[in-house]
Amino acid sequence: MKQFRKMTYPYVVWIAIMIVLPMLLIMFYAFTKQGNSVMQFSFTVENFVRFVSDTVFLEVLGRSLRVALITTVICIIIGYPAAYYIAKCSEGLKMKWVLIITFPTWINMLVRTYAWIGILQDDGVINSLLGVFGIGPISMLHTEFAVVLGMVYNFIPFMILQIYTSLTKMDNSLIEAAQDLGANGFKCFTKVTLPLSLPGVISGITLVFLPAVSSFCIPKLLGGGQYVLVGNVIESQFLTSGDWNFGSAISLIMAIIIMISLYVTKKIDTTDVSERSAT
Amino acid sequence: MKALKRMAAIVMIVAICASCAACSGNSGSGNSGNQGGQTAKEKYGSTTMKLFIPGEYMSDDLVPDFEKEFGVKVIIEYFDSNEMMYTKLAAGDSYDVLVPSDYMIERLLKENQLQKLDKSLIPNMANLAEEVKGLDYDKSNEYSVPYFWGTVGIVYNQNKVSEDDLKAKGWDIMKDTRYKGRIYMYDSERDSFMIAFKQLGYSCNTDNEDEINAAYEWLVDLNKTMDPIYVTDEVLDYMIGGSKDLAIVYSGDAVTILDENEDMSYFTPDSGTNIWCDAMVIPANAENPKLAHEFINYVLRDEVCTDNTLAVGYASPNANVLAEMTGEDGDYAENVAYLPRTYEKDEIFHDNEKLRKKLSELWIKVKAAN
Repeated sequence: MKQFRKMTYPYVVWIAIMIVLPMLLIMFYAFTKQGNSVMQFSFTVENFVRFVSDTVFLEVLGRSLRVALITTVICIIIGYPAAYYIAKCSEGLKMKWVLIITFPTWINMLVRTYAWIGILQDDGVINSLLGVFGIGPISMLHTEFAVVLGMVYNFIPFMILQIYTSLTKMDNSLIEAAQDLGANGFKCFTKVTLPLSLPGVISGITLVFLPAVSSFCIPKLLGGGQYVLVGNVIESQFLTSGDWNFGSAISLIMAIIIMISLYVTKKIDTTDVSERSAT
Repeated sequence: MKALKRMAAIVMIVAICASCAACSGNSGSGNSGNQGGQTAKEKYGSTTMKLFIPGEYMSDDLVPDFEKEFGVKVIIEYFDSNEMMYTKLAAGDSYDVLVPSDYMIERLLKENQLQKLDKSLIPNMANLAEEVKGLDYDKSNEYSVPYFWGTVGIVYNQNKVSEDDLKAKGWDIMKDTRYKGRIYMYDSERDSFMIAFKQLGYSCNTDNEDEINAAYEWLVDLNKTMDPIYVTDEVLDYMIGGSKDLAIVYSGDAVTILDENEDMSYFTPDSGTNIWCDAMVIPANAENPKLAHEFINYVLRDEVCTDNTLAVGYASPNANVLAEMTGEDGDYAENVAYLPRTYEKDEIFHDNEKLRKKLSELWIKVKAAN
């Protein structure tokens, strides 16, 4: 192993410049404020207090977590059966399904989101269709529904692929063994397949929840300017207010929330494994 | 077989790259081979100039025609916002003509970043309309020549909203609960706070804390009671489609909306609004100021102004063109948004970094308040 260690050096340099250094800068900005002409900056926790003590910002945070949670749950509900089906398909069909699922990600996310505007707006595709039957128009654009739809649409491939991979990696003889021991189809699924595919679900959750909770262009385009999520607050602090210190503090708070949620999901995963080995 | 395919792919890629390179190479040499190049070089010292202008803000023919007539080459760059233009300029990029807004010109002037115009080289300045001459930021037009101008106002559906109501209520119509869920606000702190300031009878350049707070409360109240949607340029498409009854829009965009949808009209309350002006200036570090003067003079020609205003829809700075467009049989005779009505209380924005930051800090809270 040792002789390969040198091969990681380029990546270590990359991490240092592209990840560690920016993180340190964010930490620095978050804990400082612009000083007067004598002192260029001074250390403070003011930026954090400002976020936590303002109900408006806390509401925004709550809304972001709620939307991300709804998105993740919908992704699992739709994604799990789809992944299960694909995993059971023949080799050739599998590849075609994976291709179909990844196909939209070949197109830039912004472009696809703009397409949703055209589909959802009052004189858009859906409402024109409904109009033929004399229904509507129903306002769909600039609602929470549109935002969740946009997020599910954008992130669901990650969920399906993660679950699909863990299902295909599963040893089929385990299911056969369960069947031999008299388990019916349902029991087989709940006792064997589901627990073994949980790691895939967990990594799917991280790949969907994290981008959803910090997303800012989907809520801006599909939710309208009044649909503010944490990502939008951070964006406005950097681009319009020019308050990098406050923006960094919010980013750091988000990073901490994300780390906690990662830790919790990991915990759920490991306890599950230990329970399984115990029974 | 596989190797053959790969070869073919590589050959194709090389061919595509080569043809792209050839194309760009060709267009470059095509322009420099202009006949008038020699004399232009003698006259201006150089045959190229750089123009920095907001996107979609100029007739497509303007620059090519100028290049042809004077045997020169104009390099065009576009910017999204005045702030972005300022950042590039501060980074040391050199341009010959810029087209920023009023408050940004004020800031550039404060920082000595502009050069004084030689008015003898711009005889067409005689055509300037009274409304845009000597605005606050440049009282005797020594540094700037207006390019387009207009106001901020309300586009409304005449079948749903009566003009009498608008006259009676002014900006407060945006808080009339009969139109709840039927309004678009413009997602910009400056324009939104301007509306609140004007409705409350303050100046839109105030930095009085109490007045700012009152305006903030006015906007929060609007956000809570009216379920507004905050949009920017998309408002054009949405209002042309007629999806809502009321929208805050720049007069030039309103011209386009009114042209496309007959139900829509434009209104500016007499409690006052923001009157704005984008103008051509020559930065201090311009490399080719002589050609820049020639360009500014060219843009002010009657026929060039006519083409430009017809292409973009914003009000021309040229008095003759304004009269022609709004006169009988003029292209914009029927369009009430084209020539903005102006009131005593209309104001131009001033450069105030502190106020801008304060407003943008409050703005995200206005939008997030539910």
